[in-house]
Amino acid sequence: MLLPSRTAVLNYMFDKDEVDVKSVMAALKDDYGNEKQFNEKMYLDHLMALEANGMVEMSSYELDDNDELIMRYKITDDGKSTVEKYIDKRYRVA
Amino acid sequence: MNSEKSFMNTSVVSADTKMKAVGKKFQATGISNGLVSGLTYGIYSTLVVVASGYNPLVSAAGILAAPFVASGLNDLFAGIWLLFYNAKQGRLRELGRTLKTKPGMMLVIGFLLGGPIANGAYLVGLALAGAYAIPISATCSLFGALFAWIFLKQRPTKRVVLGMVMCVAGAIIINFVKPQGAPNFTLGIICALIAAVAWGLEGVFSSFGGAMIDTDVAVNLRELISGLFALLIVVPLIGGGIKLLGGTIQAPSPVLWLAIAGLSAAISFVTWYKANSMVGCAIGMSLNVTYAFWGVLFSVLFLGQALSATIVIGSIVIVLGAIVVTMNPLDLFRKGDA
Repeated sequence: MLLPSRTAVLNYMFDKDEVDVKSVMAALKDDYGNEKQFNEKMYLDHLMALEANGMVEMSSYELDDNDELIMRYKITDDGKSTVEKYIDKRYRVA
Repeated sequence: MNSEKSFMNTSVVSADTKMKAVGKKFQATGISNGLVSGLTYGIYSTLVVVASGYNPLVSAAGILAAPFVASGLNDLFAGIWLLFYNAKQGRLRELGRTLKTKPGMMLVIGFLLGGPIANGAYLVGLALAGAYAIPISATCSLFGALFAWIFLKQRPTKRVVLGMVMCVAGAIIINFVKPQGAPNFTLGIICALIAAVAWGLEGVFSSFGGAMIDTDVAVNLRELISGLFALLIVVPLIGGGIKLLGGTIQAPSPVLWLAIAGLSAAISFVTWYKANSMVGCAIGMSLNVTYAFWGVLFSVLFLGQALSATIVIGSIVIVLGAIVVTMNPLDLFRKGDA
């Protein structure tokens, strides 16, 4: 059984230094890639909502070669303890 | 949060500009979502009363059957509207996934409190005390802060305590002068208070990992579970409940109004949670609480609710108090400059 996607995003970030929406989607593509909800808008929403709830924070931002804004996020201590408390360990094997 | 990692000056400037634009747009969208949630909740509160004015709901015996039939149907309709919305977004599968997680199960317990219990009590309150019940129910942010203090050991600041006192003061002002011709007025106010308490508790249950759940999915589950629980479990326990439900479903007018009320409730919840996750729970809740204004205003405009000084002053004090509980009002201006 797959985790709900927002939960999966936070779970993925547990042991990562820094992620952006593209790297998150690349990592979750195998599991969720065939779903209609698997798009950048939705996944950026997940990151921003997790940020608003204090689970992750923005770590840096810059423009890429195409002048597109890249926002990078990392998990907070609150986010880590939430993952440890509420997500089964078996979901954390990379 | 400066872009230390960008080395070229030109790109730093435009990255900053772009980031600022994104932040501003995000903030503006969050605030407008919050305002829409307040407006639509006011519309929902008014439409449910309109629906309850039709037969067989209006002539139902007892004080419980009609509110629970109305709130159950309303929530079920809201849940169905949301199913369409989530299907369009391609995330119907998320509903089942969410129910299988621990945070999802905790949310469901909260839904049962906030759904059948609080919504039912709120509608009994509306039926007995009219528009007076609306601002009273807005004291739920007071109870939310209080329960967070008791159960989650989150000590309130002086500002939060001040806001709580304002909420209580507003509730007392509203009750100062009882309107004429409402024999069960005090009981109605008590029901609205029960709703506020249950809504406050619902918030506590969302703090067990609920931040990891997609709110559009959570809201969908909430409305479906609440509607089904009310209609399949609560209504049959109330004398005459089943008969009233059957009669209501066959009557076109109340069902139509409840379907529109359900749509308003669905929009209200989706935009409320969206606002919470964009501008923070504090500002989101404060904007949502403006429903007390809208609800009273619409009741005066469309339902012939008599306007008294106590309801006007009391509602304003409660809304201001709820805003002070949830946020520092000065932040609104500070963030506006950013």
